[in-house]
Amino acid sequence: MNLALQFLANGLVTGAFYALSALGLTLIFGLMRVVNFAHGEFFMLGGVLGWVATAVLGLDFATAFVLVVAAMGVLGWLVDRFMIERVRGHGEESTILLTIGLSIFLANATLYLAGPAPMKVPAPLTGKPLFLGPVVLTKSRLAAVAVSVVLVLGAYLVIHRTRIGRAMRATFQDAMAAKLSGIRTERIFAATFALGTMLAASAGMLLASIYSAQASVGGLVSLKAFVVVILGGMGSFPGAIAGGLILGLSEAFWGGYVSTGTVDIVGFVMVILILLFRPRGLFSLNAQRA
Amino acid sequence: MGQKRLLLAAAASACMAGAAGAAEPIKVGLIEPLSGSVAYNGQSVVEGAKLAAKEINDRGGIDGRPLELIVEDGQCAPANTVNAAEKLIQNDRVSVLIGAFCSSATAAIMPVADKYKLPLVTGVSSKADLTEQGNRYFFRAAETDALLARAFAKIMARDLKLKSVAYIGVNDDWGRGGVAEFSRDLTELGVKSTLVDYFDHGSTDFYTLLTRIRAAEPDGVFVAAETQDGSILLKQAKEMGLEAKIFGVGSWATEDFIKLTGEAAEGIYAAVPYASTIPGDTNRKFVESYAKAYRKQPGKYGAAGYNAVNIVAQAIDRADSTKAEAIREALAKTDYEAPNGHYRFTPKGQAYGFSAVLVQLQGAKPVVVATSPVEAGQ
Amino acid sequence: MTGERSSLLFVLVLAAVFPFAVQNPYILHLAVIAGIYVVLATSLNLIVGYVGEFSLGHTAFFGIGAYAAALLSTAAGLPIWLTVPLAGLLAGLFGIVIGAITLRLQGPYFVIVTLAFAEVLRIVATNWIGLTNGPMGIAGVPQPASVAAAGIVGGKQIYYFMAAGMVAVSLYLAWRLVRSNSGRAAVAVRENRFVAQSIGVDPFLTAMHVFTLSAVLAGFAGGFYAHYVSFVGPEVFRFSFMASMIIMVLMGGKGTLLGPVLGAVIVVGLEEYLRQAQELRLTLFGLIVMAVVLFAPNGLMGLLARRPAWLARRAAPALVSNQGEPA
Repeated sequence: MNLALQFLANGLVTGAFYALSALGLTLIFGLMRVVNFAHGEFFMLGGVLGWVATAVLGLDFATAFVLVVAAMGVLGWLVDRFMIERVRGHGEESTILLTIGLSIFLANATLYLAGPAPMKVPAPLTGKPLFLGPVVLTKSRLAAVAVSVVLVLGAYLVIHRTRIGRAMRATFQDAMAAKLSGIRTERIFAATFALGTMLAASAGMLLASIYSAQASVGGLVSLKAFVVVILGGMGSFPGAIAGGLILGLSEAFWGGYVSTGTVDIVGFVMVILILLFRPRGLFSLNAQRA
Repeated sequence: MGQKRLLLAAAASACMAGAAGAAEPIKVGLIEPLSGSVAYNGQSVVEGAKLAAKEINDRGGIDGRPLELIVEDGQCAPANTVNAAEKLIQNDRVSVLIGAFCSSATAAIMPVADKYKLPLVTGVSSKADLTEQGNRYFFRAAETDALLARAFAKIMARDLKLKSVAYIGVNDDWGRGGVAEFSRDLTELGVKSTLVDYFDHGSTDFYTLLTRIRAAEPDGVFVAAETQDGSILLKQAKEMGLEAKIFGVGSWATEDFIKLTGEAAEGIYAAVPYASTIPGDTNRKFVESYAKAYRKQPGKYGAAGYNAVNIVAQAIDRADSTKAEAIREALAKTDYEAPNGHYRFTPKGQAYGFSAVLVQLQGAKPVVVATSPVEAGQ
Repeated sequence: MTGERSSLLFVLVLAAVFPFAVQNPYILHLAVIAGIYVVLATSLNLIVGYVGEFSLGHTAFFGIGAYAAALLSTAAGLPIWLTVPLAGLLAGLFGIVIGAITLRLQGPYFVIVTLAFAEVLRIVATNWIGLTNGPMGIAGVPQPASVAAAGIVGGKQIYYFMAAGMVAVSLYLAWRLVRSNSGRAAVAVRENRFVAQSIGVDPFLTAMHVFTLSAVLAGFAGGFYAHYVSFVGPEVFRFSFMASMIIMVLMGGKGTLLGPVLGAVIVVGLEEYLRQAQELRLTLFGLIVMAVVLFAPNGLMGLLARRPAWLARRAAPALVSNQGEPA
């Protein structure tokens, strides 16, 4: 029983992290329908730049976080305006190839510039682990979970409660109609892509303070993020949270009671089953076709 | 047209090698993973190898000929590694190959080396059966997991007072090999195995695995993990308040690892073929020049690259020739004084005679607690 | 027509003379690797170019072929001329099963579900030690006796002709499919699903047909790869093979027969040529891939499509078929 409680806690924490890592992709893949294979590299860059800002330049975590996220927003904006924009409407293949090229470029340029060693972003919070009965947690993990919740809520509010959010939703429902009604859709696309990039990078930097950052992690992050987005339903923020938690919990229990060597299979099998039986994702009420 | 030029180039280089051999560099090919998830370890090997080459050339090379190291990225993938090997052999005309880190990649270029009758030396690949394939051109200047286990299982069981152990390792050939060998030897010594499981390379969350280990209440936890996975795992083990003694294999006796792991590294044991704190003059000099070149202490992979290049260079020197067959024969008679002891090869090409050490990380330093020669049995 | 035939003859003669003109084993080796990739790219192109769906799980069939050939030759002792066709057949069976499941989905869903299948197979291959030997892999997949007996160059020449034969068979099968009723039906579905349905084409069956053949071809490539590289481990399911295939198909030009061939040869050559750039190799490679998407969005065949005319006509029969040729 104690064991199950600890698995539950582990699953919820990793689930929150999965949701956080996938947030950016929820926007870019879920809403914009850009199959973005550079997502993991944006995440990785958040961590590596975070390391540069804190460990190399000596900034404190909060300042560094703001700077890194802003810089990544600019990068995302530029990527969309100068690259994705040119292939928009050419089908999935062009964007897939473009983002694969971008991910190869970013991963290897980072490897070249920052070196292959794992990089540690100093954690903003340290301290003894907390024991809640039989369950162990740490402050930095709890803080990261809290930040995840804040980011998810923030992104949700931006999309659903602001003017730009309304413009975004209009653009992704019908870009032509949105354009006709005076929305400058190319800006909306770029802003959404930039927002997605910023979310990916903030996840990368936060998690680099708990784990570590390394140039080569992007591929794995992308894969998990796609799983989370599909589980939760494309483009749905509550779905992304649910998807992350489901993945985290099922991995925790599979790893706990079956084996950790095969734990990655859980997510992919769930993706196959869900796409077969509920292709819109578990929680998507949106009937819009893919 | 390109063909003609190639032929000309080949002819020209053949002439030069015949006539003015004195200044012609001796080429050695080095294939390591320089990109992807094992790049960190691969680049450490390259650092050590380059240092060895520089020292050799500073001493005037081999018989007056400089040693030229040509490094290629094999990405630890069999197909890419074969590409790199063909390129080094055919285009660069290297005399010897060193590589290719992952056992899978090394296994893929062993037939290539055999076909071209070119010596192939690995300083890393640990999969036991590589030296059992009857490949005359293959030499392993490294320990296997079986040899490490045999060297330290008894010491560990006795000194750490182990009665039960949980075994975890990264889910690849190296991790599974380490778990298999150590669990077998320790079980034979009467140590109970409470749990065996694996995790994927690049995993970040070990809480689930650690929860199970904590519930199994072993005295010791054996871990086969490299720097990134290992450092995260140890930190989380400390967070969870795991009391069991942690020991294992992996490049843990390095500054990077200790820095990444922080105080969670304190007190753990690692069985390694090399640590920068090994006593002796040869090692002191090696550590000094490594620190001068790279501003850090060498770890097991830096030493592996350093040793492999030195073994090859000495063989070429003894052979007094860059002919593959002569080098192969000279390699078989290797007698090399390394920072970590004395390397010789068995008839099957397995190195023995050098020392492996059991280190404990104390005060952010790897302290040698036991030394044992690696003896290749039958 | 005579132009097409004579240019095809020219290519065939060139391919036949190549291994004798070029005696450099490294170049021959690259030609063999390129041959494997030509088959893979051609096979992926059937799905991308003719079904109009984007599969990210094609390594599933490549990997199954590789494991099948490795196991059949090391455990059952079968010779290469049996293992490679059997590898193709087994991959085809998996193609039927996986296709029946995945082809119900479209767009990004199809992309991700195929990827999920390949990953599941990779994890199974890593953990099912009893069958696949797990991450330790299967080493020493035997070479054909003729290769072992021939010298270095001779051995490479034999492999070259085997690869060339496989390429020829694959291209012929692909060409036949594209020209067949199901090929035309597939193009109709790709262009407009609803119109195709209204004239009695079953999009699902059509797609199944193409998908299965595509799986068979990838299985051939995997089987041949196993013998040539001599080592098979879970890395055959890795995404990096997939990335290479995608780059080849799209760089060359999807939906054309010649595009993937061109793409495969260029990418294999480029990756090796960039070894000169040392540490910057893959960084540059990524940049080049991006540049191709941005400046030649329809691939190299797209650039060539206008002229010379014979090349365009030969390369893109399917693209023009819906405009003129009677079905």
